[in-house]
Amino acid sequence: MSPEIEQFLSGMKKTIEEVVMPNLTDRFAQEQAGIVAATLGFLSTIQDKVFHYELLENQEYKNILRDVIATVESDNSLNKSLKDVVEKVNQHFQHDRADDQTAMRPYPFIRGSNEHMKEFLCEFIQLQPDMSGSVRDTFESQLKPFFSTLENRERSWVKGLGFDPEADQQPDINDLLYKNGYLIGSST
Amino acid sequence: MTYYTQTLKNRAQPTEQWITHIREHYPVESIIDETLTKKLRQRNNTAAHQTNFEHLEERLTRYIKTTTGQNDIGLTNLKRLSGGASKEQFTFDLDWIQDSGERATHKLILRMDPSESIVETHRLREAQVLQAMWGEVPVPKVFWCDPEKDNLDHPFLIAGFLEGTVQPEGGDKASGLGMYFEPALREALKDQFVQHLAHIHNVDWREKDLSAFDKPQDNSTEGNDWSLTWWERVWQEDAIEAHPIIENAARWLRDNLPITEKPVIVHGDYRSGNFMYTDDHQINAILDWELSHIGDFHEDLAYTTLKILGTPENNEVLTSGLMSKEEFLDKYQEMSGFTVDPKRLFYFEVLSYYKTAVIAVATSLRTSYSQKTHLDAMMNMISGFGYIGTSALQRLLDKA
Repeated sequence: MSPEIEQFLSGMKKTIEEVVMPNLTDRFAQEQAGIVAATLGFLSTIQDKVFHYELLENQEYKNILRDVIATVESDNSLNKSLKDVVEKVNQHFQHDRADDQTAMRPYPFIRGSNEHMKEFLCEFIQLQPDMSGSVRDTFESQLKPFFSTLENRERSWVKGLGFDPEADQQPDINDLLYKNGYLIGSST
Repeated sequence: MTYYTQTLKNRAQPTEQWITHIREHYPVESIIDETLTKKLRQRNNTAAHQTNFEHLEERLTRYIKTTTGQNDIGLTNLKRLSGGASKEQFTFDLDWIQDSGERATHKLILRMDPSESIVETHRLREAQVLQAMWGEVPVPKVFWCDPEKDNLDHPFLIAGFLEGTVQPEGGDKASGLGMYFEPALREALKDQFVQHLAHIHNVDWREKDLSAFDKPQDNSTEGNDWSLTWWERVWQEDAIEAHPIIENAARWLRDNLPITEKPVIVHGDYRSGNFMYTDDHQINAILDWELSHIGDFHEDLAYTTLKILGTPENNEVLTSGLMSKEEFLDKYQEMSGFTVDPKRLFYFEVLSYYKTAVIAVATSLRTSYSQKTHLDAMMNMISGFGYIGTSALQRLLDKA
């Protein structure tokens, strides 16, 4: 189907920069138009990766939650609050299973599932004081590599917005999403 | 509108029951509670923010006539200002009889809240701290403040307009972040920049009228608790998606809350973009006091020296584009008489990145999501800054 999204975006950006902005006299309007043009430029760089970004997060949240549940359930004296979160995650996994063909699902399904999983992980984090010492230690050690991957991916995603004083040290988002031409973590 | 989870629905359409729950779980300073509660109650009831200011001149004139009791004032040249990320700002010329009895014309600035702002703050609080700083450090003179919305549909503050430069030529950066100053300009400005902060921290706030501020006790965690809870609450009210790094940082900050011996006035947003200088390179205004509160001086130091607010040059990042972090801290200690505690500075660095992430990821996206600001496009863009803050926050916590 044509034109591709990229073509729409670059057409709008060029029109704003070359036709609209030079003819604006109000400084506030010029400033806002510049921000719109910059946003369109940014969208051009990420629009073809959004689906895979969410798909990768879907896999990663399923993995971390599976690991966390195994850790939490190893505690024989698990309290009710933690048990409730475990139960909610297990119920969610009936809806979006680990072996589900998630890649064939519509985007809002994946995005919605991810949001639920993020909230579950946040609930576990809030309940850390309820965990026994060894369980909490293991939980923290599971979070560390997960957080590292997450912050790095998000930082690369927004690199094109131009705010990062250390952007030259930050990998491109392509390198964090794909390996050997495939989405990282995919079974291919 | 479909909401992926109940939490997201609660935030987008807050019920009285949910608002009560939030207020009970996140106790903050009383006027901040009032401000945030008002924001939530209005979230359901107001339409998208209108940027049309067709009748502003007429209403502003009516307000000033009523407030001054002068029917022959002259209000001209009302213009919207560019720049800034939180308030709608306008300048205008006002001809009126001053308190001295003399008739004169002055250029004034109107700072007005949008329907929801990237930082939701109280105009009376800003007016009070500006009045407290008048004669201490260079600040605009406050003339009138209306923290309600009866007159212009939005709370506002009117102050004297000062001529000067905020962004040097070619330093056109969003909200003054990462601003570049030529070396000669740096040399002229850097001592003043530190000196003013040192002075702010040495002002005796007990002698000032700061009734809109709660006062923390000496030798306690109270002020730092309020500071953290403020941003925890804002996150819970505004986030448009859950974020485990932010959640984990809040946990760490809560577990490591420091004691502050002698609380001071904290500016809360002390950096390039928030001061102005004259052609002869004198800082003539410290601006944007809306995040000020009474707390630990390390909070300002940590925030001001955040790498993401600085300017990269020769493999280092200059604090506010003026000097290295080490030089800034050395000068500060010398000028303020305070000793910097590295452990506490680290704590507040974590808090500052947390605050930055809350403002730039949660609130900025909430305001544009709800179309409640005059800067929707910019608010989306600023989230990029917030995710860099989240990344920096995690990298810092990895060292904790």
